[in-house]
Amino acid sequence: MTESGFRSAEDLPEEASGHLANLILALADNKRLLGIRYSDWILGAPSVEAGIACSAMAQDEWGHARILYAMLRDFGHDPSALEHERASNEYHSSELLDRDVASWEEFLALNFLWDTALSVQFEMLVESRYEPIHYKVRKLLEEERFHFDHGQGWTSRLLSAEGGRTALAEAFGAAWNACLRGFGPDDDPLSGTLAMHGIVRRDAAGARARWLERVGPVAAETGLARDTESAWISTREPVWEDRWLARRRAAKGGPDEDSLARARGDRNRELLMD
Amino acid sequence: MSGNGRVYEVFARKKRADRFEHVGAVSAPNEQLARVYAWQTYDEAKWFEMTVAPRDAFAAVNRPQAPFTLGDSVGRASGNSR
Repeated sequence: MTESGFRSAEDLPEEASGHLANLILALADNKRLLGIRYSDWILGAPSVEAGIACSAMAQDEWGHARILYAMLRDFGHDPSALEHERASNEYHSSELLDRDVASWEEFLALNFLWDTALSVQFEMLVESRYEPIHYKVRKLLEEERFHFDHGQGWTSRLLSAEGGRTALAEAFGAAWNACLRGFGPDDDPLSGTLAMHGIVRRDAAGARARWLERVGPVAAETGLARDTESAWISTREPVWEDRWLARRRAAKGGPDEDSLARARGDRNRELLMD
Repeated sequence: MSGNGRVYEVFARKKRADRFEHVGAVSAPNEQLARVYAWQTYDEAKWFEMTVAPRDAFAAVNRPQAPFTLGDSVGRASGNSR
Protein backbone atom coordinates (compact mmCIF):
# COMPACT_ATOMS: atom_id res chain seq x y z
CA MET A 1 0.00 0.00 0.00
CA THR A 2 1.61 3.20 -1.11
CA GLU A 3 -1.07 5.68 -0.03
CA SER A 4 -0.52 7.50 3.24
CA GLY A 5 -2.56 6.74 6.32
CA PHE A 6 -5.41 8.64 7.95
CA ARG A 7 -4.35 9.77 11.42
CA SER A 8 -7.82 10.73 12.58
CA ALA A 9 -11.44 10.63 11.46
CA GLU A 10 -11.06 14.22 10.28
CA ASP A 11 -8.64 13.10 7.58
CA LEU A 12 -11.02 10.45 6.20
CA PRO A 13 -12.79 11.01 2.88
CA GLU A 14 -16.26 12.27 3.70
CA GLU A 15 -18.02 9.35 2.03
CA ALA A 16 -16.03 6.87 4.14
CA SER A 17 -16.21 8.44 7.57
CA GLY A 18 -19.84 7.59 8.38
CA HIS A 19 -19.43 4.06 7.04
CA LEU A 20 -16.38 3.42 9.20
CA ALA A 21 -18.12 4.77 12.32
CA ASN A 22 -21.05 2.48 11.53
CA LEU A 23 -18.74 -0.53 11.18
CA ILE A 24 -16.92 0.24 14.44
CA LEU A 25 -20.24 0.62 16.27
CA ALA A 26 -21.49 -2.70 14.86
CA LEU A 27 -18.29 -4.45 15.95
CA ALA A 28 -18.47 -2.84 19.41
CA ASP A 29 -22.11 -3.83 19.94
CA ASN A 30 -21.45 -7.37 18.78
CA LYS A 31 -18.55 -7.71 21.17
CA ARG A 32 -20.48 -6.26 24.10
CA LEU A 33 -23.37 -8.69 23.52
CA LEU A 34 -21.12 -11.66 22.74
CA GLY A 35 -19.32 -11.04 26.03
CA ILE A 36 -22.65 -11.37 27.82
CA ARG A 37 -23.37 -14.66 26.04
CA TYR A 38 -19.93 -15.99 27.02
CA SER A 39 -20.48 -14.93 30.61
CA ASP A 40 -23.80 -16.83 30.69
CA TRP A 41 -21.85 -20.10 30.48
CA ILE A 42 -19.14 -19.49 33.09
CA LEU A 43 -21.10 -21.66 35.53
CA GLY A 44 -22.91 -23.93 33.09
CA ALA A 45 -20.09 -25.09 30.83
CA PRO A 46 -19.30 -28.81 30.49
CA SER A 47 -16.20 -28.59 32.70
CA VAL A 48 -14.49 -26.19 35.12
CA GLU A 49 -11.84 -25.57 32.47
CA ALA A 50 -14.49 -24.67 29.87
CA GLY A 51 -16.11 -22.32 32.40
CA ILE A 52 -12.78 -20.55 32.95
CA ALA A 53 -12.41 -20.28 29.18
CA CYS A 54 -15.88 -18.68 28.95
CA SER A 55 -14.90 -16.22 31.67
CA ALA A 56 -11.66 -15.31 29.88
CA MET A 57 -13.43 -14.93 26.54
CA ALA A 58 -16.12 -12.73 28.14
CA GLN A 59 -13.40 -10.47 29.55
CA ASP A 60 -11.70 -10.28 26.17
CA GLU A 61 -14.92 -9.30 24.41
CA TRP A 62 -15.82 -6.63 26.93
CA GLY A 63 -12.32 -5.22 26.71
CA HIS A 64 -12.54 -5.10 22.92
CA ALA A 65 -15.96 -3.44 23.08
CA ARG A 66 -14.60 -0.81 25.47
CA ILE A 67 -11.76 0.07 23.11
CA LEU A 68 -14.10 0.27 20.13
CA TYR A 69 -16.71 2.48 21.81
CA ALA A 70 -13.93 4.80 22.96
CA MET A 71 -12.66 4.99 19.39
CA LEU A 72 -15.94 6.52 18.26
CA ARG A 73 -15.06 9.72 20.10
CA ASP A 74 -12.82 10.50 17.13
CA PHE A 75 -15.97 10.54 14.97
CA GLY A 76 -17.77 13.04 17.18
CA HIS A 77 -19.80 10.49 19.15
CA ASP A 78 -20.12 10.33 22.93
CA PRO A 79 -18.90 6.84 23.92
CA SER A 80 -20.67 6.96 27.27
CA ALA A 81 -24.03 7.69 25.62
CA LEU A 82 -23.42 4.88 23.15
CA GLU A 83 -22.62 2.45 25.93
CA HIS A 84 -25.32 3.36 28.41
CA GLU A 85 -28.19 5.22 26.80
CA ARG A 86 -29.36 3.57 23.62
CA ALA A 87 -32.64 1.73 23.08
CA SER A 88 -32.71 -1.86 21.88
CA ASN A 89 -33.59 -0.92 18.30
CA GLU A 90 -30.49 1.28 18.10
CA TYR A 91 -28.10 -1.65 18.58
CA HIS A 92 -26.11 -2.90 15.61
CA SER A 93 -25.41 -6.36 17.04
CA SER A 94 -26.38 -9.55 15.23
CA GLU A 95 -29.82 -11.02 15.87
CA LEU A 96 -27.89 -14.13 16.99
CA LEU A 97 -27.07 -12.27 20.21
CA ASP A 98 -30.53 -10.87 21.01
CA ARG A 99 -31.28 -13.45 23.70
CA ASP A 100 -29.50 -16.12 25.71
CA VAL A 101 -28.86 -19.43 24.03
CA ALA A 102 -30.43 -22.64 25.25
CA SER A 103 -27.68 -25.20 24.69
CA TRP A 104 -23.92 -25.70 24.52
CA GLU A 105 -24.30 -26.41 20.78
CA GLU A 106 -25.98 -23.03 20.20
CA PHE A 107 -23.23 -21.47 22.30
CA LEU A 108 -20.66 -23.07 19.99
CA ALA A 109 -22.42 -21.60 16.95
CA LEU A 110 -21.76 -18.17 18.48
CA ASN A 111 -18.24 -19.07 19.62
CA PHE A 112 -17.07 -20.72 16.41
CA LEU A 113 -19.16 -19.23 13.61
CA TRP A 114 -20.05 -15.71 14.73
CA ASP A 115 -16.97 -14.85 16.79
CA THR A 116 -14.87 -15.93 13.79
CA ALA A 117 -17.01 -13.76 11.51
CA LEU A 118 -16.18 -10.80 13.76
CA SER A 119 -12.48 -11.69 13.77
CA VAL A 120 -12.46 -11.82 9.99
CA GLN A 121 -13.85 -8.28 9.95
CA PHE A 122 -10.94 -7.25 12.18
CA GLU A 123 -8.48 -9.08 9.91
CA MET A 124 -9.72 -6.76 7.19
CA LEU A 125 -8.55 -3.84 9.36
CA VAL A 126 -5.01 -5.09 10.11
CA GLU A 127 -3.42 -2.82 7.51
CA SER A 128 -6.15 -0.20 7.52
CA ARG A 129 -5.21 3.28 6.36
CA TYR A 130 -7.22 4.51 9.36
CA GLU A 131 -4.27 4.29 11.75
CA PRO A 132 -6.02 4.58 15.14
CA ILE A 133 -7.71 1.23 14.53
CA HIS A 134 -4.94 -0.75 12.96
CA TYR A 135 -2.73 -0.16 15.99
CA LYS A 136 -5.31 -1.97 18.13
CA VAL A 137 -6.22 -4.86 15.89
CA ARG A 138 -3.18 -7.13 16.20
CA LYS A 139 -3.46 -7.60 19.95
CA LEU A 140 -7.17 -8.21 19.66
CA LEU A 141 -6.64 -10.88 17.01
CA GLU A 142 -3.99 -12.58 19.16
CA GLU A 143 -6.60 -13.02 21.88
CA GLU A 144 -9.18 -14.16 19.38
CA ARG A 145 -6.93 -17.02 18.26
CA PHE A 146 -7.83 -18.77 21.48
CA HIS A 147 -11.55 -18.16 20.93
CA PHE A 148 -11.26 -19.83 17.54
CA ASP A 149 -9.34 -22.76 19.02
CA HIS A 150 -11.94 -23.10 21.77
CA GLY A 151 -14.78 -23.18 19.23
CA GLN A 152 -12.96 -25.56 16.92
CA GLY A 153 -11.74 -27.81 19.73
CA TRP A 154 -15.26 -28.21 21.11
CA THR A 155 -16.79 -28.61 17.69
CA SER A 156 -14.46 -31.46 16.79
CA ARG A 157 -15.18 -33.06 20.17
CA LEU A 158 -18.95 -32.99 19.45
CA LEU A 159 -18.53 -34.13 15.86
CA SER A 160 -16.84 -37.28 17.11
CA ALA A 161 -20.11 -38.51 18.69
CA GLU A 162 -23.34 -39.24 16.83
CA GLY A 163 -25.70 -37.32 19.16
CA GLY A 164 -23.35 -34.37 19.33
CA ARG A 165 -23.07 -34.19 15.56
CA THR A 166 -26.86 -33.97 15.09
CA ALA A 167 -27.33 -31.28 17.75
CA LEU A 168 -24.38 -29.30 16.42
CA ALA A 169 -25.64 -29.47 12.82
CA GLU A 170 -28.99 -28.13 13.98
CA ALA A 171 -27.46 -25.24 15.95
CA PHE A 172 -25.01 -24.32 13.17
CA GLY A 173 -27.82 -24.50 10.60
CA ALA A 174 -29.95 -22.09 12.65
CA ALA A 175 -27.11 -19.54 12.91
CA TRP A 176 -25.73 -19.90 9.38
CA ASN A 177 -27.87 -17.37 7.52
CA ALA A 178 -27.27 -14.60 10.05
CA CYS A 179 -23.51 -15.23 9.77
CA LEU A 180 -23.52 -15.18 5.95
CA ARG A 181 -25.35 -11.90 5.73
CA GLY A 182 -23.45 -10.40 8.65
CA PHE A 183 -20.81 -9.30 6.15
CA GLY A 184 -23.34 -7.46 3.98
CA PRO A 185 -24.49 -8.17 0.43
CA ASP A 186 -21.93 -8.46 -2.36
CA ASP A 187 -22.68 -4.89 -3.47
CA ASP A 188 -22.62 -3.54 0.10
CA PRO A 189 -21.88 0.20 -0.16
CA LEU A 190 -20.38 0.27 3.34
CA SER A 191 -17.56 -2.24 2.85
CA GLY A 192 -17.30 -1.39 -0.85
CA THR A 193 -16.51 2.25 -0.07
CA LEU A 194 -14.17 1.35 2.79
CA ALA A 195 -12.30 -1.17 0.61
CA MET A 196 -11.95 1.40 -2.18
CA HIS A 197 -10.15 3.76 0.22
CA GLY A 198 -7.91 1.08 1.72
CA ILE A 199 -9.65 1.28 5.10
CA VAL A 200 -10.65 -2.39 4.94
CA ARG A 201 -8.69 -4.90 2.89
CA ARG A 202 -11.62 -6.57 1.14
CA ASP A 203 -15.27 -5.81 0.47
CA ALA A 204 -18.25 -7.82 1.81
CA ALA A 205 -17.89 -10.65 -0.70
CA GLY A 206 -14.16 -10.90 0.00
CA ALA A 207 -14.63 -10.95 3.76
CA ARG A 208 -17.37 -13.59 3.51
CA ALA A 209 -15.07 -15.73 1.34
CA ARG A 210 -12.32 -15.42 3.96
CA TRP A 211 -14.76 -16.47 6.68
CA LEU A 212 -15.84 -19.52 4.65
CA GLU A 213 -12.17 -20.41 4.23
CA ARG A 214 -11.75 -20.40 8.02
CA VAL A 215 -14.96 -22.14 9.13
CA GLY A 216 -15.55 -24.20 5.97
CA PRO A 217 -13.60 -27.34 6.90
CA VAL A 218 -15.69 -27.70 10.08
CA ALA A 219 -18.97 -26.45 8.59
CA ALA A 220 -18.60 -29.03 5.82
CA GLU A 221 -19.06 -31.72 8.47
CA THR A 222 -22.55 -30.33 9.06
CA GLY A 223 -23.36 -29.94 5.34
CA LEU A 224 -23.24 -26.14 5.35
CA ALA A 225 -20.09 -25.61 3.29
CA ARG A 226 -18.11 -27.43 0.65
CA ASP A 227 -14.70 -27.22 -0.93
CA THR A 228 -14.49 -26.42 -4.64
CA GLU A 229 -11.20 -26.33 -6.50
CA SER A 230 -10.82 -22.61 -5.96
CA ALA A 231 -12.57 -21.84 -2.68
CA TRP A 232 -14.81 -22.89 0.20
CA ILE A 233 -18.42 -22.03 -0.57
CA SER A 234 -21.69 -22.05 1.36
CA THR A 235 -24.19 -24.70 0.30
CA ARG A 236 -26.96 -22.19 1.08
CA GLU A 237 -27.57 -18.77 -0.42
CA PRO A 238 -28.05 -16.02 2.16
CA VAL A 239 -31.65 -14.90 2.63
CA TRP A 240 -32.01 -11.12 3.00
CA GLU A 241 -34.57 -8.99 4.77
CA ASP A 242 -35.68 -5.56 3.63
CA ARG A 243 -33.84 -2.71 5.28
CA TRP A 244 -31.07 -5.07 6.38
CA LEU A 245 -28.38 -2.51 5.81
CA ALA A 246 -29.38 0.22 8.20
CA ARG A 247 -28.16 -1.60 11.32
CA ARG A 248 -26.20 -4.45 9.73
CA ARG A 249 -28.61 -7.00 11.25
CA ALA A 250 -32.16 -8.28 10.80
CA ALA A 251 -34.26 -5.16 10.49
CA LYS A 252 -36.63 -5.91 13.34
CA GLY A 253 -35.88 -5.98 17.04
CA GLY A 254 -32.71 -5.82 19.06
CA PRO A 255 -31.32 -7.29 22.29
CA ASP A 256 -34.11 -8.45 24.63
CA GLU A 257 -34.87 -6.59 27.85
CA ASP A 258 -32.49 -8.56 30.06
CA SER A 259 -29.62 -8.43 27.54
CA LEU A 260 -30.13 -4.71 27.03
CA ALA A 261 -30.11 -3.99 30.77
CA ARG A 262 -26.85 -5.92 31.11
CA ALA A 263 -25.23 -4.36 28.02
CA ARG A 264 -26.03 -0.86 29.27
CA GLY A 265 -25.27 -1.51 32.94
CA ASP A 266 -28.76 -0.45 34.03
CA ARG A 267 -28.61 -2.04 37.47
CA ASN A 268 -25.83 0.23 38.65
CA ARG A 269 -26.77 3.21 36.57
CA GLU A 270 -26.67 5.62 39.51
CA LEU A 271 -23.04 4.65 40.15
CA LEU A 272 -21.88 5.58 36.66
CA MET A 273 -19.11 8.14 36.68
CA ASP A 274 -18.43 10.72 34.04
CA MET B 1 -12.21 -38.67 33.58
CA SER B 2 -13.74 -40.09 30.40
CA GLY B 3 -16.14 -37.14 30.14
CA ASN B 4 -13.36 -34.57 30.16
CA GLY B 5 -10.73 -36.50 28.25
CA ARG B 6 -7.07 -36.54 29.31
CA VAL B 7 -5.01 -34.67 31.85
CA TYR B 8 -2.39 -32.36 30.33
CA GLU B 9 0.55 -30.97 32.30
CA VAL B 10 1.27 -27.29 31.73
CA PHE B 11 4.76 -25.75 31.59
CA ALA B 12 5.68 -22.14 31.05
CA ARG B 13 8.51 -19.61 31.24
CA LYS B 14 8.48 -15.85 31.55
CA LYS B 15 11.65 -15.11 29.60
CA ARG B 16 13.53 -16.81 26.83
CA ALA B 17 16.46 -17.24 29.21
CA ASP B 18 14.30 -18.95 31.88
CA ARG B 19 13.79 -22.66 32.26
CA PHE B 20 10.28 -23.99 31.90
CA GLU B 21 8.47 -24.37 35.20
CA HIS B 22 5.60 -26.73 35.85
CA VAL B 23 2.63 -24.45 36.51
CA GLY B 24 -0.24 -26.92 36.76
CA ALA B 25 -2.55 -29.23 34.84
CA VAL B 26 -5.83 -29.15 32.94
CA SER B 27 -8.32 -31.79 31.81
CA ALA B 28 -9.36 -31.50 28.19
CA PRO B 29 -11.05 -33.60 25.48
CA ASN B 30 -8.25 -32.89 23.00
CA GLU B 31 -4.95 -31.09 22.59
CA GLN B 32 -6.49 -28.00 20.99
CA LEU B 33 -8.70 -27.42 24.03
CA ALA B 34 -5.84 -28.28 26.39
CA ARG B 35 -3.85 -25.39 24.87
CA VAL B 36 -6.77 -22.98 25.27
CA TYR B 37 -7.54 -24.09 28.83
CA ALA B 38 -3.89 -23.90 29.87
CA TRP B 39 -3.45 -20.39 28.50
CA GLN B 40 -6.64 -19.08 30.06
CA THR B 41 -6.35 -20.88 33.40
CA TYR B 42 -2.69 -20.16 34.20
CA ASP B 43 -2.70 -16.50 33.24
CA GLU B 44 -1.00 -15.23 36.41
CA ALA B 45 2.06 -14.12 34.44
CA LYS B 46 2.77 -12.65 31.04
CA TRP B 47 4.32 -15.84 29.74
CA PHE B 48 6.93 -15.77 27.02
CA GLU B 49 6.21 -19.40 26.20
CA MET B 50 3.80 -22.08 27.38
CA THR B 51 3.52 -25.73 26.42
CA VAL B 52 1.29 -28.68 27.32
CA ALA B 53 1.79 -32.44 27.18
CA PRO B 54 -0.48 -35.34 28.13
CA ARG B 55 0.34 -36.58 31.63
CA ASP B 56 0.50 -40.16 30.36
CA ALA B 57 3.28 -39.19 27.95
CA PHE B 58 5.68 -38.85 30.89
CA ALA B 59 7.64 -41.86 32.08
CA ALA B 60 8.49 -42.39 35.74
CA VAL B 61 12.22 -42.61 36.37
CA ASN B 62 12.83 -43.48 40.03
CA ARG B 63 9.34 -44.08 41.44
CA PRO B 64 6.85 -46.78 40.61
CA GLN B 65 3.95 -44.29 40.59
CA ALA B 66 2.96 -42.36 37.48
CA PRO B 67 4.59 -38.91 37.33
CA PHE B 68 2.68 -35.89 38.70
CA THR B 69 0.43 -38.06 40.86
CA LEU B 70 2.34 -37.91 44.15
CA GLY B 71 0.29 -35.71 46.46
CA ASP B 72 -1.02 -33.79 43.51
CA SER B 73 -4.49 -33.61 42.10
CA VAL B 74 -5.82 -32.53 38.76
CA GLY B 75 -6.04 -28.80 38.41
CA ARG B 76 -3.76 -26.21 39.84
CA ALA B 77 -0.53 -27.85 40.96
CA SER B 78 -0.39 -28.16 44.74
CA GLY B 79 2.99 -26.69 45.45
CA ASN B 80 5.83 -26.46 43.07
CA SER B 81 7.15 -29.51 41.32
CA ARG B 82 10.77 -28.49 41.70
